[in-house]
Amino acid sequence: MEMKVETGKNIQVKDVSPSGMKIIWQEIKKDKLAMGSLIILVAILVFVYGASFFMDAKEIAKVDFLSIYLEPSSDYWLGTDYGGRDVFGQLIIGTRNSFTISLFITLFTAIIGLTLGLLSGYFGGATDNVIMRIIDFVIALPQMMFIIVVVTIVPVFNVYVFIMIMTLFLWTGKARLIRSKALSERELDYIHASKTLGTPHWKIILFQLLPNVSSLIIVNFILNLAGNIGLESSLTFLGFGLPESTPSLGTLISYARNPDVLENKWWIWVPASLMILVLMLSINFVGQALKRAADARQRRG
Amino acid sequence: MTLLKVDNLKVHFPIRGGFFRSVVDHVKAVDGVSFELQQGETYGLVGESGSGKSTTGKAVVKLNDVTSGQILFEGRDLAALSRKEIKPFRKDIQMIFQDPYSSLNPKKRVLDIIAEPLRNFERLSPAEEKKIVQDFLDKVGLSPESIHKYPHEFSGGQRQRIGIARSLTLKPKLIIADEPVSALDVSVQAQVLNFLQDLQAEFNLTYLFVGHDLGVIRHMCDRMGVMYRGRLVEEGRSDEIYENPQHIYTKRLIAAIPDLEPEVRGDKVKLRKKLTAEYESSYSKFFDENGRAYDLKPISSTHRVALL
Amino acid sequence: MWKFILRRLLVMIPQLFLLSIIVFMMAKAMPGDALSGQEINPRANPAELDRIREELGLNDPWYQQYLRWASNAVQGDFGISYTHKTPVMDVIEDRLWNTVFLALVTLIFTYMLAIPLGILSGRYNDTWVDKTVTGYSYVGFGTPIFIFALIMLFIFGFALDWFPSGGSVDSKVDEGTFAYVVSKINHLILPALSTALIATTSTIQYLRNEIIDNKIKDFVRTARSKGVPESKVYSRHILRNSFLPIAAFLGYEITGLIGGAVIIETIFSYPGLGQLFLSSVSLRDFSVVTAIVMMTGFATLLGTLLSDIILSAVDPRIRIE
Repeated sequence: MEMKVETGKNIQVKDVSPSGMKIIWQEIKKDKLAMGSLIILVAILVFVYGASFFMDAKEIAKVDFLSIYLEPSSDYWLGTDYGGRDVFGQLIIGTRNSFTISLFITLFTAIIGLTLGLLSGYFGGATDNVIMRIIDFVIALPQMMFIIVVVTIVPVFNVYVFIMIMTLFLWTGKARLIRSKALSERELDYIHASKTLGTPHWKIILFQLLPNVSSLIIVNFILNLAGNIGLESSLTFLGFGLPESTPSLGTLISYARNPDVLENKWWIWVPASLMILVLMLSINFVGQALKRAADARQRRG
Repeated sequence: MTLLKVDNLKVHFPIRGGFFRSVVDHVKAVDGVSFELQQGETYGLVGESGSGKSTTGKAVVKLNDVTSGQILFEGRDLAALSRKEIKPFRKDIQMIFQDPYSSLNPKKRVLDIIAEPLRNFERLSPAEEKKIVQDFLDKVGLSPESIHKYPHEFSGGQRQRIGIARSLTLKPKLIIADEPVSALDVSVQAQVLNFLQDLQAEFNLTYLFVGHDLGVIRHMCDRMGVMYRGRLVEEGRSDEIYENPQHIYTKRLIAAIPDLEPEVRGDKVKLRKKLTAEYESSYSKFFDENGRAYDLKPISSTHRVALL
Repeated sequence: MWKFILRRLLVMIPQLFLLSIIVFMMAKAMPGDALSGQEINPRANPAELDRIREELGLNDPWYQQYLRWASNAVQGDFGISYTHKTPVMDVIEDRLWNTVFLALVTLIFTYMLAIPLGILSGRYNDTWVDKTVTGYSYVGFGTPIFIFALIMLFIFGFALDWFPSGGSVDSKVDEGTFAYVVSKINHLILPALSTALIATTSTIQYLRNEIIDNKIKDFVRTARSKGVPESKVYSRHILRNSFLPIAAFLGYEITGLIGGAVIIETIFSYPGLGQLFLSSVSLRDFSVVTAIVMMTGFATLLGTLLSDIILSAVDPRIRIE
């Protein structure tokens, strides 16, 4: 029978968990689009973070009235803006800032969403009720308007405050997603088993429940990262995102609100727009491939 | 010696309804159940799905909240204890789950699964822990290399044995086996059952065996209780209940066991028809006007039946 | 069903209350007070200002001020606009209609794109048609509206000059004429299409997945095995079941459009509520800002309510929660 069928001597002990990193990696390798996206993404990030290391942000931000609105040339690869500042340098710094800040926003919303989602789903009952009512409310608010108003009325405004404000409004979707997954997981017997084995709640949540929502978290994290880059640059574009001292990709694009720039000075806003598109699309393609990997029904081949 | 005494146990679940989602009624999943388990015996709880047998088992390990009644384990009332106070008793009472697929965390290795209770109660070095886990794996007939594998790499029967190994690591006195073989192939069922009996002898275990399969219960249990709609309707030694069922529900349950010999099939059909007629004609002898079974009354020193 | 709607409405009462409290708090946190909106003598001395403040009740405890503000708001009185020197509601009214028109046209475009593309993609899944549509919706999903709208404006508004690049109507035409209506629609097309082309992608994907899920369900198989023609299988069985959830998203869609109005109206210089909001924030005309936030907050709550109700009508399981 099935007893001791595996008691051979040459058994290879493999560390493969059902939807572990290896399967994720295999899935990306299979998906040419995702693989290409990942390569492009890594290349851009390595270049941007590397180049910004050698750049002097202050030098780039310096206004030079002698070289206003210059077209691209060997001196200024992507021309200059209304203040005579190098667009290429701003593009590099802006990409770095946009990505870093979106990453932090995604990270913080993930921490809050995960904590509240797991607590709400695992304990259910009154805890769940209170948390869900808060989520329902925050999710129904016109977020962009609220963010803009809060940005204008906070007494001190800098990058950290901006990240905090964004986090305050953006954690809810994640919490709801994780809560519904946790809610279905907690009815499974392995959670019941842990309870009867005397494992404390916090250990069950961290070591039993969390690993089983991890693929959901990873996929959601990646898709949210792309979304947050879009949201951050939208707000900056409108003039209510990153403060002047921290230029983002949205800053460059916001110059296009001047019709003259939009119509005649493409070098200022097109590169930054393309950069956002490439970043968001490649992150999304990787995320979608992972989503397929996590959802076995859609797994390719 | 009485190890476990369940006295007038009730587990009610609220039904919410109406405009304000207030509690309008209760599902009486377990409604006044009493029985005793002697040290070293196997007691079976049998009944159809929804009869409250699993809920009773789960109430003993506090997976369900007890509405009222007592669960006396070695004289201490578990029902009255808080989650914290119950922790020392977790060592003594363990559970084997029905579904070997959902009862093992898919993201954990066998080592972590089986060592989980050990880590909660004992301070062991990784080497000691590994040795204990491998000893138990050996006892349940799995190779020592299994510790590095994940549950999905095993068959249902093997998984169930991992679950059993996990429940044994703390050397419990009582094991609640909640339909431990009903999710397994018939060919594997007997194997796991025999093996549970071997373990019982070796570790001096007491089993509370929950099941719906009368054949399995008879094979395993010294005594058994028949549950119906949250009530015990008959209780006694397994052979008594088999040979001499008194309650109409028990009779019908036994008559429903399929027979392997085709020639008696006709007789069986007749018997079932007769019992259906009896059920309809003498309903009030067994159930009160609310359809609730009467309290158990002894008809011999070991045999009790819910009769008017 | 009615019970659900009533209960859902009851949930809205505390939500509305909370919303109004938050908006009121934000209004209080904004620099300046109602006095900033009044025509007062700039040389008025501080004692005089204090007297007016007292008269206006600005020194009352906050809850009294809140009650007064809330009861005025319910009657549509949000005070005086500081920049326009007229009641806030008058400033808002015209803009509100522009935004409603824009949202309506956007919705029409969104569903005009989503329904045929979603059906094609779902019915002929894994063909080149499906792959093209899915590719489009993946790209659309990852594209922020403001960039796409800028590109659309650049191409069709400036480079090709097919559509006007700003405003809601040509200033040269007279109100009430046919040319006026044409001009209005002409101004709507580009912003509406830009939003719809992006917003539609999630609906396309949802419809596609619904159809694919329904295709293999037993009731569809039964219909097929009974010999129902394929076109009828779709029109009678699959589409009916796939459309219902889409209809339910209508409310959420509206909620999204309200949020997107700020961006799209700014880019196309379209004089709607979103643009008014942004310019009022920049000009620190906070009585207008407060009114707009309160109104859009109310509208999004209504949108969510609408979707929840449609969803519960479509899928009774949701009502249990």
